[in-house]
Amino acid sequence: MHRSFQAVIMRRSFSSALLLLVLALAMPAALPAQNLTLPMRQGSVKFAVIGDTGTGDNHQLAIAKQLTSSRATFPFDFVIMMGDNLYGGNSAKDYDKKFALPYKPLLDGGVKFYASLGNHDDPSERFYKLFNMNGERYYSFKPGNASVRFFALDSNYMDDKQLKWLDDQLAASGSDWKICFFHHPPYSSGEAHGSDTTLRDQVEPVFVKYGVNVVFTGHEHFYERIKPQKGIAYFIAGSSAKLREGNIGSSDLEAKGFDQGYTFMLVEITGDDMYYQTLSETGKTIDSGSVHRVGKVEPTPNRTAQPVVATGGATKGQTTGK
Amino acid sequence: MKVIRSFGVIALACATLAAPAAAQKKAAPKPPKPQISDATRQKAADTNANPEALVLVNFQKRVDAYMAIHKAAAKDSLPIKQTSNPAEIKAAQEALGAKIRAARADAKPGEILTPEIRNKFRRLMYPVVQGTAGRETKEELNEDIHERDEGIPKKVPLKVNATYPEGNPLPTTPPNVLLNLPKLPEELEYRILDKNLILRDVQANIIVDFIPNAIQ
Repeated sequence: MHRSFQAVIMRRSFSSALLLLVLALAMPAALPAQNLTLPMRQGSVKFAVIGDTGTGDNHQLAIAKQLTSSRATFPFDFVIMMGDNLYGGNSAKDYDKKFALPYKPLLDGGVKFYASLGNHDDPSERFYKLFNMNGERYYSFKPGNASVRFFALDSNYMDDKQLKWLDDQLAASGSDWKICFFHHPPYSSGEAHGSDTTLRDQVEPVFVKYGVNVVFTGHEHFYERIKPQKGIAYFIAGSSAKLREGNIGSSDLEAKGFDQGYTFMLVEITGDDMYYQTLSETGKTIDSGSVHRVGKVEPTPNRTAQPVVATGGATKGQTTGK
Repeated sequence: MKVIRSFGVIALACATLAAPAAAQKKAAPKPPKPQISDATRQKAADTNANPEALVLVNFQKRVDAYMAIHKAAAKDSLPIKQTSNPAEIKAAQEALGAKIRAARADAKPGEILTPEIRNKFRRLMYPVVQGTAGRETKEELNEDIHERDEGIPKKVPLKVNATYPEGNPLPTTPPNVLLNLPKLPEELEYRILDKNLILRDVQANIIVDFIPNAIQ
């Protein structure tokens, strides 16, 4: 019994070492330089956004490597995850291969990961400490002393209990920036899934009522920046390990789309501006710009839409790629 | 010969034109008829209560009875707590599942979702899966379980006490469907797979009961 336990431990250590070796060999020794243009101001809130990551394959590893590399010049403190954190299983081996090992340099560097649940995630993932979900399917957190609060939702199961929680949390937030993230996109130009309108019907009125500024989602395996909807900036970041090439269809929703490569986002909030830069697995900038927050928004009883993102060039900045 | 061929062409054209109309007719199933047992009707008459409400009260009682089993099993099992060791999560989940299975070894389909409760649920879900909006809801249900490029999911056994297959996607339960169904304690959830509704124990990852052909 004891011997077989030792054998299991040895096998696991060996497979972990092998994976690290593959990771090291698969990546070029020196990555192409990333041209990071965010303001990179001291004291700002800096974070990264990844989605649909849990494959454990070379694409996930390539994005993980780029993330690690970008942190040298853009020292983000945490990463938000858009769900589908573990594809194909949730054994201890899956957690290692699809999360702990790819992001080991970041975890070792003290970066915190905040996960949300996708349709490929077992809700028991909420008990995994490194996902920082505190055992909850939906939760909120506030990084440091900044007036920013994040709300991680479980879009797989948006029942009235969760909606009530969201309403209460947003009402009590008091933060200038209210950022929601979850798996299914309420707006999307994707041909495989498209906009999740039933989800949108439930959450959008709450977002509008309390002046949610930005929403990050995944599920669609591409990057898309949606034109601001009812004053809210929407981003889809679901290609950090999976890709559906050519899946962005023509739609009026798209401000910028990229479905030709794997991506992740770097985001910085300073004052009333949120800067974003989306990079590919080769370190190329796919999209960049900023979202400007317009004043403080108070809830109104009639749930009237109040713009929190300035219209007409609010999401300004260069765009490259597709 | 020519006449026969022309007749054939005309017949084919008629059939082609008639097909969409026939398909349209098929796409609009009638709402399920209420099926309330004599016992429930009698109870409703005796207590001056609404029989429809009694069906839901009955469901709640059965859920409560299940939860008593779940809680007793959880008390004797490893607690599912936050951990950096994912093996502990899995072990706790499996231990709880084994205890519940042992306690419900004789459980049969329909023990919680009885025939009249199944009928009630079908009627509650009918409005949200019909028409244009309903079509979208059904599409969303289908997309999560049969995603392109995600491989073929394992067959989910429609069996009481069965484990929900590890690694299979968990199809999103659309919010409009959830809003129409009775509330559940946080240990339980509804999931819809193809046309079947599953009552799943989230913590133990087991199928507690199910409704075949819950949506039309």
